[in-house]
Formats: sequence, C-alpha cells, structure tokens
Amino acid sequence: MPWYLYLALKQLFSSGQRLFFTLISIVSVALGVMLLIIVMSVMGGFRYEIRQKIVDTQGDLQVRASGYIQNASSLEKVINTVPGVLASTAFAQGVVMLEKDQKPSFPSIQGLDMRTVEKVIPLNRYIIQGSLQDLDDDSVILSSQLALSLGARVGNAVQIYTPLMLEVAKGQDEVLLPTELKVIGIFEIGHQQLDSSTVIVTLRRMQQLYGLGHGVHGINVRIAASEDADLVTARINAALQKAQGKSIDIMPGLWARSWSELNQEFLWVLQLEKNIMTVILLAVVIVSAFLTMSLLLVLVLKKTREIGLLGALGATRKQIALCFCLQGVSIGVVGTSLGLIFGFTFLHFRNDVVLLVTRFTGSQAILERFYQFSEMPAHTAFSDLVIVVISAIVLSTLAGLIPAFIAARLKPVEALRSE
Amino acid sequence: MSNPVLFAQALVKSYQSGDRRLEVLRGVNLQVLPGETVSIRGESGSGKSTLLHLLAGLDSPENGSIVWGKETNPDAVRSTGYLGMVFQAFYLIPELNARDNILMAKRIQGGLDQAAYARADELLKKVGLSERANHLPSQLSGGECQRVAVARSLMNFPQVIVADEPTGNLDEQTGDSVISLLIDLCADMKTSLVLVTHNPSHAMRTQRQLILKHGVLLEA
Repeated sequence: MPWYLYLALKQLFSSGQRLFFTLISIVSVALGVMLLIIVMSVMGGFRYEIRQKIVDTQGDLQVRASGYIQNASSLEKVINTVPGVLASTAFAQGVVMLEKDQKPSFPSIQGLDMRTVEKVIPLNRYIIQGSLQDLDDDSVILSSQLALSLGARVGNAVQIYTPLMLEVAKGQDEVLLPTELKVIGIFEIGHQQLDSSTVIVTLRRMQQLYGLGHGVHGINVRIAASEDADLVTARINAALQKAQGKSIDIMPGLWARSWSELNQEFLWVLQLEKNIMTVILLAVVIVSAFLTMSLLLVLVLKKTREIGLLGALGATRKQIALCFCLQGVSIGVVGTSLGLIFGFTFLHFRNDVVLLVTRFTGSQAILERFYQFSEMPAHTAFSDLVIVVISAIVLSTLAGLIPAFIAARLKPVEALRSE
Repeated sequence: MSNPVLFAQALVKSYQSGDRRLEVLRGVNLQVLPGETVSIRGESGSGKSTLLHLLAGLDSPENGSIVWGKETNPDAVRSTGYLGMVFQAFYLIPELNARDNILMAKRIQGGLDQAAYARADELLKKVGLSERANHLPSQLSGGECQRVAVARSLMNFPQVIVADEPTGNLDEQTGDSVISLLIDLCADMKTSLVLVTHNPSHAMRTQRQLILKHGVLLEA
C-alpha cells in the first residue's frame, strides 16, 4: 500500500477525538446518500408501478383511429408481423350505468377479445374471485371496490344501461330495458382508480351495448421484454403507413402510441418531481462535502509540522496532496457505502415503516386514495444508483482537494518552523 | 583521504526583517567526512537551524553550494535516504506507534519488505524500546519519543545525520542519554553526524567542534 494511502487511513480512523470527527463526516455523507437513494427509488417505484399497471391493463402500446376501427382482424395481422411484437388484442371501451338493487354506479367498461386478451393483458393475475375463462357474453367481471360498493358478489346479477339506449329512446316512446349480466368474477389490480370503478365484459357484448357492429376502439399490443416500446411503436406506424397504401382493409388515420406517449404529461410531472427532489437532496451531500472540507482544513493546519516532516523524509508534494485528497475520497467511499446500506435497508422495510406511521396517524386510507397504491413502491434504476454514487464520491473528493492543495504548497522548512 | 559525505561552500542566507535585511550566514564552509561527528554551537539566533536546514536540503542558500556525496539536487538527496534527520520537537506522527513511525522513513522511500521490518525491530532494540514498539507517541515519554526519532533517522542507512538540538525538549539526564545513544549508533553504523546544540558537554563528545559566529563557522 502506498504510504500516502496508509497514512490517510491511519489519520482518518485513529482512535479518539479524530475518529469522532471522521465519523461525523462519514455519517453526514451517508445520510445524504441514504436520503437520495430512498427518494429516487420511491419516485422511480411510482413510475415503475404505474408503467406496470398501464402495461398490464393496456399492453405496451395501443393502436387507435380517430373513429372506430372496422376491420380489426386485418389490422392485427399487420401488427403481429412487426418485429418485436408478441401479440395483439382488440378492445372497445366506454362508460355505462351499472345498477344492482336500485343502487346505481357509473363505471368505465372494457370489452375484451377473449380469444387473444390473455396473450396481451395478464388479467388472470389480478382476478381474486372467479375466473377470466368463465367470462361470456352474458357475464361480467367487476373491480373489487365497485363490487363492494354495490354489494355485488360472484353469482349476483347486475343491470347495465348504455348511452346507446338514450340514442334509441330519443323521439320514441320506448321503455328502456337494461341488459342483465351475471357477475362471474372480481378483480383487484392495486390501482385505486381502476379498482374502484371498472367493469369487464366480452368484446362482443361491448359491441352490442355500444352498437359498434364489428368495430373496436383500438388494439392493445404486447412486445418482447427486450424491446423498446417507442422503437416498436415507430415500426408499427411505419408498417401501418405501408399497409394503408396496399390494402383497402386497412383504414387511414390509424396511429400507434407507446404507453409512455399515452401518459406523457403524467410521466413528465413524475420526472419533474423526481428531478426537483434529487436537486434538493443533493444539497445535503454538498453540505456534508463542506463539512469534510472544514475537517480536512483543520487537519492540515494542525498537522503543518508533520507535513514538513513528511517532506523532510522525502515525500513529494504530489504524494502529500494525495494523502489529504485520499482522506476526502475515503470519507466519500465509506459514507456512500454506508448510505447505500442504510438506504436499501430502509427500502426493504419501507412498507413496515409506512404501516407504522399510518397506524399512528390513521392515514392509511388517505394514502391509498391519493397515491393509488396499497404498498409503497420502490424501484432503483441502475442509472440513479450511478448518479448517487458518483456525485457523492466526486463531491467528497472535491472537498479534499482544497486542503490537499494547501498541504502540498507548504515548504518543508516553513512547515517545520511553524508554531 | 575519503570523499566528504557533505561538502558546503560559501553558503550565504539572509532574511528580511522589517525594513532591513538580516544576513544570517555569510559564507559558511563545512566538510564532513564519512563516519565523522561534528558539532555546531552558537548563540540563539546565530543561524544554527538555518544552516542545518540548508545542510538537510530543506532550504536553498542564496549563494554557495552543497554537495551530498556526489549529488547536488536536494530533492534527490531526500528521496534516496542519504540523509537522516533528528529534530528538537521529535515530530513523530501521533497516529502511528513507535515501530510504524520508524518504518515511515522506509515507506516514503519505497520498498517496504520483511528486511525493513527486521531493521525497524533491530533499531528499536538498539534504542532500548523493543517493549514499547506498539506504543503510540502519546504513551511515550519525551526521551523515548526522541529515541524513536533517532531510530527513524537511521532507518534508511543514511550516510549522514543532521540533528537540530535533539535534547532541547529533554531534561539534562535524558538529554545526555539521547546524545550518547545518537553518537554511539552513528559510530556503530559508520554514519556521519552533524549535531547542532547549545550544550558544550554534548558538543565535546563529537570529534570536531565548530562555533557559528557572525554568520561564519569557526573551529572551537
């Protein structure tokens, strides 16, 4: 081990008063890193979970038209040939009035193509009662909170009123009869908005309810895990453009959008929040770097004669500078490592911590209502980890540079003469 | 006749003191032969420490030249371990124990190996501190600290040791024992010694006694 590293470590981790100051510097860096990693991971977790919910309920990307898509099967054939696409499924969606025992509700409704939906949307994962396979044209699957609010259970019947009934009734003295469907399942995704107000029926039933004929509102597409959604979206758009010129089955005005494009504004707000929090918390690391610098400056002043001695023993200025600079680096490396350990430990037990806090404050319901998740999400992106580690170590190194520069400038003879 | 291990010629050094320039050294000449012990005495402020810093290559003269063996570059001299130094204030590194303080001289020069550890242990034995090898400077007395400093100065087998009032911070009895140790070790290892001291009895123990007066060295 070079002498300057040996002495740097000895000076940093010697027992007594000096060790206390070293530990304060290390803890301040560790706290900054811990806060950064927790906040970036939780913010990243929100984005990751939201992406997961979107992809699980809509696929990686959607193909839509300005109106209805009339020939969905031809369009699916074109989409399925695009490299990176695993599967596609048509859907129709809207809003209905749902009634059970004179209790009305106005959920959104999804009509799914039962032949292909499972290849694109892993709904089975979220079914908590019943089975997706049992869904037919006379049945319905309800979201958990909707079922709870209506008092509906598997096996009960619910009535559905659609906007089409209003169209039919206009100017006619007809009695509106709702469609009665049997509840065969209940699902829970873990997203408050979707769980509180969603109904799933077959695509054929949805086409009847909305009078779409064979039309659909869009195609959900699943891509390979290794593929980039935006890249595959661009490929599909190119394929659609090409197909529109060749086939009369492919209507004009079709466009594909990836999940991130479809939720661009929301994701932008999330990213902005994350960036602002990162900048604010980076200030903690900067403050700890100043603390390290003041510690090392005091050390240089206190050790002036020793610096003179090192010069007298043959140490070069560069080596003396390195000795002090490495103390800053060591504080940065140890502090960052501890910060990562503390941070990941906190993230591991985050739900217990949240549960404890919300139990004391009685705010668990509020948390679920506003944050949409029953558990605190966390996802640490590798790039975030690299940013945190590099910024903490670079700032600590910079903190050691000024004391190192001052130490290196001391002439041995002047240092030895100093009082 | 052997070549001198240290040869200083016409050294001039002055300091600015307010408006006037204080000429401390006015043409100092000194030649130290291999194994020779030389003492330099003088009044306070006569320039003894200034001369020693020049001889140790820690400072540069305004005029004159110094040759260490065949080397004239002070940085090269310091980096080869040609010189050993002992200071009045010991200058031990407080975070290192006695053994590691001695080894520090070798660590800086490079090439720390088993032989270096054995050498450090041998020196500790010679200065009578084998039992205190793992003690920190704060756990040692002033005399013991200076013994460690003496051992450190000898670690790299120097050709010459320059000692700047090594007994200045010690009581008379301890000072005497440190000087005895320094002179005996230098004689054992055939190392030359330039000793700056206030104490005439310590000076008398060297082979040659010089006095620094009015900026020049005179035979006592």
